Amino acid sequence: MNRRNFFAGAATAVAATTVSRVSMAALPEPVTQASTATAPPLVPPNGRPYNPVVTLNGWTLPWRMNAGVKEFHLVAEPVVREMAPGFKVNMWGYNGQSPGPTIEVVEGDRVRIFVTNKLPEHTTVHWHGQRLPNGMDGVGGITQPHIPPGKTFVYEFTARRPGTFMYHPHADEMVQMAMGMMGFWVTHPKAEHPLIEKVDRDFCFLLGSFDVEPGSATPKVNTMTDFNIWSFNSRVFPAIDTLNVRKGDRVRIRVGNLTMTNHPIHIHGHEFEVTGTDGGPVPRTARWPEVSVDVAVGQMRQMEFIADEEGDWSLHCHKAHHTMGPMGHDVPTMIGVDHKGVAEKIKKLVPDYMVMGDKGMADMGEMEMPIPDNTLPMMTGTGPFGSAEMGGMFTLLKVRRDQKPGDYRDPGWFKHPAGTVAREVSATGAPAAPRKTGTTPASPDSGSATVRKPSGHGAHNH
Amino acid sequence: MLAGCASLSPDGGTADVQALVDGNPLMAGAAAQRKPDDASQQSVDALLAQPLDAEAAVRIALVNSPRVQDAFATLQLSDADRVQAASLPNPVLSFSRLAQGSEREFERMLTFNVVGLLTLPWQARWAGQRHEAAKLQAAQSVLLLAADTRRAWVRAVAAQQSVSYLRDAKEATEAGAELAHRMAKVGNWSALQRTREQLLLADASAQLARAEQAAVASREQLTRLLGLSGTRTAYTLPDRLPPLPKAAPELGDVQALALRDRLDVRSAQAQNTAVAGSLGLTHATRVINAMELGVVRNTTFENDADRSKSTTRGFELELPIPIFDWGQARSGRAEAQYLQSAARVRDVGVLAASEAREAWQGWNTAYALARRYRDEVLPLRKQVNEEMVLRYNGMLASVWELLGETRASMLAVNAGMEAQRDFWLADTDLQLVLTGSSPGGMTAAQTASAGDAPATGGH
Repeated sequence: MNRRNFFAGAATAVAATTVSRVSMAALPEPVTQASTATAPPLVPPNGRPYNPVVTLNGWTLPWRMNAGVKEFHLVAEPVVREMAPGFKVNMWGYNGQSPGPTIEVVEGDRVRIFVTNKLPEHTTVHWHGQRLPNGMDGVGGITQPHIPPGKTFVYEFTARRPGTFMYHPHADEMVQMAMGMMGFWVTHPKAEHPLIEKVDRDFCFLLGSFDVEPGSATPKVNTMTDFNIWSFNSRVFPAIDTLNVRKGDRVRIRVGNLTMTNHPIHIHGHEFEVTGTDGGPVPRTARWPEVSVDVAVGQMRQMEFIADEEGDWSLHCHKAHHTMGPMGHDVPTMIGVDHKGVAEKIKKLVPDYMVMGDKGMADMGEMEMPIPDNTLPMMTGTGPFGSAEMGGMFTLLKVRRDQKPGDYRDPGWFKHPAGTVAREVSATGAPAAPRKTGTTPASPDSGSATVRKPSGHGAHNH
Repeated sequence: MLAGCASLSPDGGTADVQALVDGNPLMAGAAAQRKPDDASQQSVDALLAQPLDAEAAVRIALVNSPRVQDAFATLQLSDADRVQAASLPNPVLSFSRLAQGSEREFERMLTFNVVGLLTLPWQARWAGQRHEAAKLQAAQSVLLLAADTRRAWVRAVAAQQSVSYLRDAKEATEAGAELAHRMAKVGNWSALQRTREQLLLADASAQLARAEQAAVASREQLTRLLGLSGTRTAYTLPDRLPPLPKAAPELGDVQALALRDRLDVRSAQAQNTAVAGSLGLTHATRVINAMELGVVRNTTFENDADRSKSTTRGFELELPIPIFDWGQARSGRAEAQYLQSAARVRDVGVLAASEAREAWQGWNTAYALARRYRDEVLPLRKQVNEEMVLRYNGMLASVWELLGETRASMLAVNAGMEAQRDFWLADTDLQLVLTGSSPGGMTAAQTASAGDAPATGGH
């Protein structure tokens, strides 16, 4: 987390392309991104001005102006995305990364997007949520021929409606999305809009899920529900960048869901309002305060709030399994199972064996044991007070009074004012709790419910 | 020519037999002994004091096994027959006393079987040939015993090794079943899940019990071949079989080798020569197979007053008259015997060549298999185990999957060890097939019992 070279990471490189140079000569140079760091906002060098977004662990695609038309060049291609340090996944994406770069335009812009297909199979791009001519909607076979491998197609339309959108293939969709093909599209309002506030920080990320067999590197594209990698912008905690804001900032977070399940996105310490969906800005009368918003499949939610509480606030999907890394979903619950005698026996046969899970799974966060290559632990991430026991769709909203405007750097861990951290209370100092007497726990018997109290034996001393 | 030359061999033919098997790889320098003596018993005790390797087992069997003693006794019988055949027939003295009134007559006659005398060299040569065949057969018995001992040793060590792997495999399921029981006890598992793990344990226990019985049986097999009893049966075996040889030997034409060196081939040939000899004898004595020539001296005592007596001398020739038996039957029988023996020579030759091909192929297959286990299966198996531990560490797999993998691993190691065992059995078969005899026991020409030789495995 500390290795992020925030600004340095924004370096871009010209792609070496296998597509004919002659045929590409008239197109905008495809720009590719090698870094997974959060790129600083791309302040528009030309065209209509707007207040740019920050794509978490991502970047915004540069464009060129051509006779008043904004020209972008997307290259659909296989990429290797580092989802966490040491965990690299073979994906399909755009311009070097998955998700692809965010496309930012202004309401009313004429937009021309060249799409070069460097995948082994045909593709298309669907501009999710946009008002556009039917033939530009990117549904292979229905509104256009597929883009064959090696070919470049062009899409052209006017960004008619301000709001948050996505782009993704509509050709072999199941496979191409399971492989990570997706990206963000933000259309900024041309002028002040009664329902769209000006914000100080504008973050966006897409929710993605992948099934990567531990020890392998390519997602299993046929998985329908039992995914094991849950990501924000194809990154997993603790490798997802934090959302760093200044105290008092108006913050907007745009979340799009391209997984196959819903995600209740929850922010600690603040309440927010959903100010927009991919359908547009929400009327003020329809907004209500929330601390979680469920982002359904294929949906977009725009949350806004004033970051007025200092600290390191968790921001995560509230489905507990989605804040975990890969785990064996068929591993039985071991809680309360006495390993005495058996552990020694197993250790004799498997010298590296250690008892785990008999007191819960926190062991996993605490113990550093070797696991298969190119896999991350089920729960991980360390904070100033120990193991965070989290993974997947989890990051932090860091609110600091001294975070300078436009500075997106990680300010480090929050320094709590004295006396504001939960602490241990000595037995004598605690007030007496009301006690109920006369109850006895159910007798332990096969299959019956049993009160489980810590047995006291240290599992790792077995 | 009549030299009553034949005498019993003082060592019962031990030296001759030893000369036939010397240098055979199955013997590994061991010597067969006709009768156990103090020195050999002391050496047996010394060998039994340490874990018994294959060579020591062969050494013990060759001095201690009832089977080797049996073989030498059989050889001694043949030696006695040989000496008997080469002995001059004894002359027959007959004496009769006849009385007629007062007259007494004494008749003395010395007869000699002339045909027996005339055919003596023939008989002696024939018996000698038969004895040569008997020596070859005794040598085969010795090699078969050495081979059987090696095989029994290989089986006993392997079975003992197998028990230890299956015990580990069972322990893995035992741990799984015990944990399953505790899982159910605290309410984490249903009876169905618990019972499934217990079933695995029951299966593993049965497998182990069978292996333990097999280990006892194969050890007793070895004990019998070693001729051991009492406290001597408490010998120890090494923990593992010898490692595989580095490379396959260069043997050239294995068929030619077998046809040249195999003792049963040579024995059949020697027997055939002997039968041919007997055929000649039978032909020669076809019509006249007995002729007795005697010297007669008759003395008659008149017992009258002057005590006169008279003596007559003469000779007597006794010759069967070939009216009914012209010897066709004996001649036909001899010819049939010759044909039979010639057929057996051919049979043994075909068998030897075929067995040589089969054993060579069997050796190569067993070698390749055992190497595949050693170089591929077991390292891969180990890797799978290590990967499973990593998965267990990451809470990606349960302890039951880990234990299941461990159990599968033990079974794979066991299968690898069985492949190694089969290689050593095939190796023994090949040695025997190329230089000794049929690995299935003595060939048809041999009458000696193969004893309790186990059914050969490995092919």
